[in-house]
Amino acid sequence: MAFGDYPALYDPQKHGPYDPARYYGKQDIPLAQVKLGELGAWLGRREKTPSAVAGAFSRAFWRWQHKYVQPKRSGIAPFFQLVVGSSIVFYIFNYGRLTSHRNYKYH
Amino acid sequence: MLSRALISGQNARALMVLGSRATATSASNSSAVQTAEQNLPEFRRPVRGEPGKVRLGFIPEEWFQFFYKKTGVTGPYTFAFTLSTYLVSKEIYVMEHEYYNTLSLAIIWIAGVKFIGPKLAAALDKEIDEFEDSWNKGREFEKEYLAGAIETEKKLQWGMEGQEVLLQAKRENVALQLEADYRQRLFTAYTEVKKRLDFQAEKQNIERRIAQKNLVDWVVAKVRASITPDQEKQNIDKCISDLAGLARA
Repeated sequence: MAFGDYPALYDPQKHGPYDPARYYGKQDIPLAQVKLGELGAWLGRREKTPSAVAGAFSRAFWRWQHKYVQPKRSGIAPFFQLVVGSSIVFYIFNYGRLTSHRNYKYH
Repeated sequence: MLSRALISGQNARALMVLGSRATATSASNSSAVQTAEQNLPEFRRPVRGEPGKVRLGFIPEEWFQFFYKKTGVTGPYTFAFTLSTYLVSKEIYVMEHEYYNTLSLAIIWIAGVKFIGPKLAAALDKEIDEFEDSWNKGREFEKEYLAGAIETEKKLQWGMEGQEVLLQAKRENVALQLEADYRQRLFTAYTEVKKRLDFQAEKQNIERRIAQKNLVDWVVAKVRASITPDQEKQNIDKCISDLAGLARA
């Protein structure tokens, strides 16, 4: 599987038109429904290759796109989500430098 | 030669299929995709949905629903407030100059969303509708045209039914004419035969009359011829004596 190819398990005859937000492998229990005790086993069943991780991020991005950006009458929510999310991310990136701006010695 | 080979038969059909497949946008107009495999549970067609619900401009509704089962309706706000209190009081979140910049930006954005948002949304929605209409117009026109063509075709078929009735009437008309002609001929034959029979009857009558007349003439002539001068004289004498007798009386 090279760059730009469809996932290896995707079969147009079987699955229909390609949906980038969809996982074409074997379905597992959603993470939200996993019990804490089964979390280790659930993580053990996950693929951990770089391409699989990249695929997971790509599907998450497309799910977000389909839900907030691509609908016919989407609002300003995705813009704010992007702003807030990037603020948090860059806050974490710059955390080491920002801590020098603290006003109090004792908390 | 080559063009004929391309246009004729199988090749042309293959070209058409190829063309339709290249331009097909949905399953409805490409028969190649319409198979039994569409009934498989894995077969799904992506659907463009409504935008996900959010609160406070950007927080997904699911986040609040997640709290409701455990904490009730105030839970998510309590969580946000307590977490931010913790982060601020421990200075995990440091309130440097960017924080105040964020506050002013947030005020501007919220004001923008509240005051300009609805108008902008209405304008954009209108534009979306116009765009969609512009794409749909041709299709709607095509549909209307085809519906009109169907109407015309139905009317024409109705007219053809009328034609059948008309044809029936014409047939009946012709049958009536034939019947009339037949009776006319029958009558002609009758009159002609009657004329001839009348002629024969008249001829016979005339012949009989002439024969009778001739016979009478012949008898009279014979009788005249048989009268002698003596007899005539006697007769005249008799007449004179009769006259004398009458004069006396």
